[in-house]
Amino acid sequence: MNVTLAVKQYISKMIENSGPGMKVLLMDKETTSIVSVVYTQSEILQKEVYLFERIDSQNRDSMKHLKAICFLRPTKENVQHLIQELRRPKYSVYFIYFSNVISKSEIKTLAEADEQEVVAEVQEFYGDFIAVNPHLFSLNLQGVARGRSWEPSMLTRCTQGLTSVLLALKKCPMIRYQLSSDMSKRLAESVKQIITKEYELFDFRKTEVPPLLLILDRSDDAITPLLNQWTYQAMVHELLGLNNNRIDLSRVPGISKDLKEVVLSAENDEFYANNLYLNFGEIGTNIKNLMEDFQKKKPKGQEKLESIADMKAFVDNYPQFKKMSGTVSKHVTVVGELSRLVSERRLMEVSEVEQELACQNDHSNAQQAVRRLLQNPRVSELDAVRLVMLYALRYERHSSSILPSLMDELNRRGVSERNRRMVQAAVEYGGKRIRGSDLITPTDAVAITKQFFKGLKGVENVYTQHQPLLHDTLDQLIKGRLKDSQFPYLGASSLRDRPQDIMVFMIGGATYEEALTVYNLNRNTPGVRIVLGGSTIQNTKSFLEEVMSATGQQRRRREVTGDRSP
Amino acid sequence: MASSYPPPFEGTGEVKEGFLCPLCLKDLQSFYQLQGHYEEEHSGDDRHVRGQLKSLVQKAKKAKDKLLKRDGEDRPDTGSYESFYYGGVDPYMWEPQELGATRSHLDVFKKHRAARIDHYVIEVNKLIIRLEKLTSFDRVNSDSAKIRAIEKSVVSWVNDSDVPFCPDCGNKFNIRNRRHHCRLCGSIMCRRCMEFIPLPLAQKLINGTREALCVPGSPGQSQTLPAGGGSSGMGSRRGSISSLSSVTSMLEEKDDEKIRCCHHCMDTLLKKQQKLDEKDHIPDIVKLYERLRMCMMKVDEKAPDYIRMAESLNAGETTYNLDTAGGLRLEVQKYYELIDALSKKILTLGLKDEPQPHPKALQLQKMIRYSATLFVQEKLLGLMSLPTKEKYEELKQKRKQEQERRLQQERLAAQEALKRRQESEKTSTPANGELPQAQRAPRMTKAGGWLPSAESVHSQSELEDPLLQQIQNIQSFLRQAREAQKADEVAMLEENLRQLEDEYDQQQTCIAIALSEKLAKEESLQQGELQRLEAQELEDRRQWGYTVSSTQPAINWEPSLDISHTGGCQEDEDTTEEVLTPKVETSALAVMAFPTLTSQEDSPPRLRSLGGHITPPGGETKSSSPLNPFEEEELTPTEEDSSNPFFEDIKKERSEVTNGKNDYNPFEEDADSEEGKQADAARGNPFEEDDADASNPFMEPPGNSPDVSTNPFDGEDDEDLPDVDMIEEELLLQQIDNIRAYIFDAKLNGRLDEVELLSENLRELQHTLQEQKKKKH
Repeated sequence: MNVTLAVKQYISKMIENSGPGMKVLLMDKETTSIVSVVYTQSEILQKEVYLFERIDSQNRDSMKHLKAICFLRPTKENVQHLIQELRRPKYSVYFIYFSNVISKSEIKTLAEADEQEVVAEVQEFYGDFIAVNPHLFSLNLQGVARGRSWEPSMLTRCTQGLTSVLLALKKCPMIRYQLSSDMSKRLAESVKQIITKEYELFDFRKTEVPPLLLILDRSDDAITPLLNQWTYQAMVHELLGLNNNRIDLSRVPGISKDLKEVVLSAENDEFYANNLYLNFGEIGTNIKNLMEDFQKKKPKGQEKLESIADMKAFVDNYPQFKKMSGTVSKHVTVVGELSRLVSERRLMEVSEVEQELACQNDHSNAQQAVRRLLQNPRVSELDAVRLVMLYALRYERHSSSILPSLMDELNRRGVSERNRRMVQAAVEYGGKRIRGSDLITPTDAVAITKQFFKGLKGVENVYTQHQPLLHDTLDQLIKGRLKDSQFPYLGASSLRDRPQDIMVFMIGGATYEEALTVYNLNRNTPGVRIVLGGSTIQNTKSFLEEVMSATGQQRRRREVTGDRSP
Repeated sequence: MASSYPPPFEGTGEVKEGFLCPLCLKDLQSFYQLQGHYEEEHSGDDRHVRGQLKSLVQKAKKAKDKLLKRDGEDRPDTGSYESFYYGGVDPYMWEPQELGATRSHLDVFKKHRAARIDHYVIEVNKLIIRLEKLTSFDRVNSDSAKIRAIEKSVVSWVNDSDVPFCPDCGNKFNIRNRRHHCRLCGSIMCRRCMEFIPLPLAQKLINGTREALCVPGSPGQSQTLPAGGGSSGMGSRRGSISSLSSVTSMLEEKDDEKIRCCHHCMDTLLKKQQKLDEKDHIPDIVKLYERLRMCMMKVDEKAPDYIRMAESLNAGETTYNLDTAGGLRLEVQKYYELIDALSKKILTLGLKDEPQPHPKALQLQKMIRYSATLFVQEKLLGLMSLPTKEKYEELKQKRKQEQERRLQQERLAAQEALKRRQESEKTSTPANGELPQAQRAPRMTKAGGWLPSAESVHSQSELEDPLLQQIQNIQSFLRQAREAQKADEVAMLEENLRQLEDEYDQQQTCIAIALSEKLAKEESLQQGELQRLEAQELEDRRQWGYTVSSTQPAINWEPSLDISHTGGCQEDEDTTEEVLTPKVETSALAVMAFPTLTSQEDSPPRLRSLGGHITPPGGETKSSSPLNPFEEEELTPTEEDSSNPFFEDIKKERSEVTNGKNDYNPFEEDADSEEGKQADAARGNPFEEDDADASNPFMEPPGNSPDVSTNPFDGEDDEDLPDVDMIEEELLLQQIDNIRAYIFDAKLNGRLDEVELLSENLRELQHTLQEQKKKKH
C-alpha cells in the first residue's frame, strides 16, 4: 500500500533489468516528475544511471556505449518519438517500459521500427502517478472539470492514473462513489471498465476483505482547500507551492543562488520526514534545536538563538557551516520565509477567522471578524477574497447574510474583478446546491451532539480546529457506517465486512490537510490502511484556478438561460 | 551458571542460555539490559499475569501442560506492547511494498520485429550482393558502355517512360533534368536526389558483411582477397586516367570511382556501415569506466573487511594483526586514488579535442566523475584510521583494564541489587503481603490456587539457583499431589517445609513477621525451605559421612516445630533489621556456594547416601525415620538436578510412612510467599548473580560458601548437633584457609568490595569455630 515504494520498486527493477554499464534514462515530461519525486539524483547515480534525457529532446548525441532505459507514458507522441529513436538508435540497447497499458498495434509499429534490433525489453510498469508520500499520490492534473462534467482527456488520464495505482499496489477493488457527483460516477465506471477489460492484469491473490476504492468529488468540500494551513508540508504548499516536492524560492527576498529551488522529500530528508506533520510552532522549536545542535558542534557559536532571524544571521555567518548543513540552511530558509509571510500577511489573525468560519456557528461574530479583517490593509488580496468565499460558502443561505456588503468591501479594497468573480464561482462550485453531504451543518443527532460537546470542551488549537469532511467520511467508512444512499457501490456486490485497504480518490484535487487526516487515521486505526489520491494536490491558489476552470463554462450556460437565479 | 542446571522438567525442551528474561524468555545481551528490560516491562506484569492465570486454576492439568499454557497466555501480554500503544501503523512503517503488476510485450514485439528484420536483412544483403557485383570488375578501365551493360545486368532498370517525375522531389524530367537510375535497385531519380557510394565505402561494406557471414576460423582469406584486388587496382591507375575520364564524365557521366544510387539504398547501406563501425569500436570512456567500476567493486569488497579490522583494533582487541590491517588500508586507499584518477581522466576526456565533444558526452563525463566523488566521499569517510603501534599497545592495555572494571562493576551491581532486594523485601513485603491475603478466599477453597505461582517459578527455573529450583520442584509435586488429592503427601511436604523453617534461618522468618504474622510465616517458610535444603544437604553429608546416627536430631526438631513457628520468630523480630543484610545476601549467594561445596565433598556422601537410602524407608518406623531418607533423596536431586521423577517416588514412599500432620494453610501461605519472593528475586537478583558468577566463577562462590555451611549451625548446633560440630571443625578450618586464599587473591586484583565481603565471612567462620571449640571444652 506504499505508493512511494511501489514506484521506487518499479524504477529500481527497470535499472536492475538493464544490467551493469553506463545508462541513460529516457523519459517524457510526466514520467520525469514521477521518477524525480521518488528518487534523488545521487541515489540514482549509484545505480549507474548517469544521464536523464527527455525522449522529445532533439539535442541528444549518439552514445552507443550507453544503455537506454525508456520510461514513458503510452501516448501517441511518445510512441512516435520512440519510433524515430529506434530507426536511428542513439544508444546501444533499449529497455522500454510504458507506465500504462499500451495497445497491441502500437507495439507492432514499434517492433517494425526496430530494424537494428536494439530493443531488449518491452514492458508495462504501472508507475503512472506521482507518489507524494507513502499514502498520498497525485496525478498533477489541473482543470479536470468543465462545468459539472469531465474534460474528456482528463477522464482518460485519471482513469489511467487510478488503474495504474491499483496495479502498482496489486489491488482489484470494489468501487464506491459519491452519488451527488456525476464525475465520480463516470470515473468509477471508467475504472471498472478497465478492470473488466484487463481482467488478466487484475487477477491478484484474493484477500479476505476485498480492497475498496472510494471516489469523491472536491466540490463536496470546497472549504478545506480555502483554509490556511499550519502543518509544515501543508503550509509550505499553501504559502510557497510544493510542486513534485520542489519549492520555488526564487521570489524570496535575498535568497542565495543555490537555494532558489529546494527539494523537500521525506525519503531523503530526515528533518523533513520528522516534521512533515508537525505544526508551525513545533517546527520552530525543532529547527531551533537542530540549529543549537549544530552550534554545539561549532566551538565559536556561543550566542543563543532567540528568533528565526537570529538563526538566519547565524547561518549566514558561517559559510562553511552552511555547506556542511545543507539541510539545516534549507529548512531555516523555508521556515524563515514562512514566518515572514505569516507576519507580513497577518496569517494568524486571518487563519483564526477562517477556522471560526469553518467550524463555529456564530454568524454575528463571524461577519464582524471578516469585516474587520477586510479593513486591515495588511491582509492580502487573496486572503481577503478567501475570507469572503468562506463566508459565502458557510452562510450561503443565512437570512441576514452580509455577502453583498462584503463584496462592496472587496471592491473598495480594489480587489480585481476576476478575484471578485471567484467568490461567486466558489459558491457555484461547492455551494449547497451542489453538495451531497452535510459539509457545514450536521443534521443527524449524533453529529449535533458531537459538535455540542466539542463546543463545551473548547478548542485546543484555534488554528487547527478544522477537520476536513474526508475525516468523517473515512471514519464512517472504516466503521462500516457510510451510507449506501450517498456513496453507492458500483455493481451489485457490496462489502460485508469493514474495509481494510482503502484507496480514496478526490476528483478536483486533494489537500495536504486531508493527507494529514489520512495519515492520522492510518496511525490510529488498527488493521486499516488508507491511501489518498487526487487529480492534483491543491492549495488555495491552485484550487481557485480549478474552480475558475470548472465554472467557466457554466457561466456561459447561465448567461444563455438568463438571470433566473442570482 | 543458569545453564549448568537443566530445567526441572525434561519436557520443557531446549535449555536457553544467556540473559534471559524470566517472563518472556527474551535473550538480552547483558544483565544491565536484562535488568532494565525487566524493570520496564514486567514490574507491572506480575499481578496482572497472576490475575489472568487465576482464571485457569479450575482446570487441573499436568504441570507441563500448564507451563505451555502459561507461555501462550503470557506472550501476547508482553509482546503486544508495540502495537498496543498505537492503534494503527504509520504509513512509513507499512510492510515493504512488493513489486507491482507488470506485463511484458517482448514476445509480441519480437514476433513482429522478426518478420520485419527478415525483410530488412534480405534487403540489405541484396544491396550488398549487387554492390559487390558492381565493384567486382575493373570500373576504371572499362568503357562506359560496358559498365552500363554490366550495371544493367545486375539489376533491371526501370523504364524511363514509366517515370515522368522524380519520385523523391516531384520535379518533371526533361532534357535539362535528366533521369538517373539507381544502380542498386534500378529506380529512377533526378540528379539532385541522387547519391553516390564511394568505392572505399562499398568495399568496406562488402568486406564487413563477408566477415560477418564467413566462418570465424577463416576471416583473413575472405578479407584480403577482394580488398587487395580492388584497392590496389584502383589506387595505381587512378591518377593516370582521372584527367581523361573527367572529360568523358562530363558527357557520359561515367562513374569510375563511385556508384550511383537512390537515397533509400544509401540510407540502408549507411546504417549497415554504422553498425559495422560500432561493432568492434570501444570508446575510451568505456575502457576507463570499466576500470573505474572494477575499482569500486574492489573497494566494496575490501572496505567492510578493513572496517571490521580497524574497529576491532581500535577497541584494543587482538583478533587481527595491526600490520595486516595496515596493508589492507593501503590497498583500499590505493583503490580510492585510482578511482579518483580514473574519474578525473574520464572528466577531461576529449576536452582538448577539436571539435569539442557533444555537450551530452561532456555531461556524461561530469556525472560519472560526480558519482565517483560521491562514492569516494561516502566510503572514505567511513574508513576509520588505525591506531599507531604505541597507541595500539595502549589500547590493548586500556581494554584489559576496561574489562576488569566492568567485571567489578557487574559485581558491584550484583551486590547492590542484592541490597536492593533486601530493602524491597523490607519495604515491599506489605505489597506482597496484600496479595496473598487478597487471594486468600479463593485459595482456601481451591487447592490449585497457587498453580500460577508454581508455573511462574517454572519459567524462571532455568535461571534460578538450584535451591529455588528445588523448592519449586517440591511445590510442583505438592501441587500435583493436591491435584491428585493425596492429602497425606501434601501434608508430609508441608511438614517438611515447616521443619525447614524451624530449623533454619530465623531472620528470614522475622522479616516477614515484622510486617505481618501470616506473611512472615510464608516468607520464612520459603526462605527456610531454601536454606534448610541446603543445610540438610550439608548436614546429611556430614551425618552420613562422619556420623552414623543422624536420625536423632531430626526427631528432636519435630516437636519444636509449632513453637518456633510463631513464637520463635517473634522473638527475633527485633534483630531483624540488623541481621537482614548479611543474611539475605548469603541466602542468595548460597547459589554459588552450593555447587562448590558439592564438588568439594561430593563423592563420599553421595555414595553413602545411595547406600543409606535403600534401607530407611522399609526398615524405619513411622515416627523416627521420616526425615533422613527423604532429605537424602532430596539431596541427590539437588546435586544432579534431574530429580523430579525420582523425587516424587520418594515422596510417595514418604507419604506412606507419615500421615498428614499438617493442615493446608501454612503450606499455601508458603507457596504464596514463595511466589512473592520469586517475583522479587526475579527483579534482578538471580541474573546479576549469574552474571557476576559467570565472569569470575571462582571468586564469589567459595567466599560465600562458608556462610552457608556455617549458618545452619549457627541456629541449632549449639544444642542439637554436638556430634556434627566436632567434625565441622575440620571443615571450618579448611574453609577458613580457603577464604584467606581468596581474600589474598581479591586484594591482589584490587577488588575491595570482595575483600570486605570475604573478610566478613572469614570473621564469621572464625567466630563459629571459636564457639564450637568452647562448646567442646
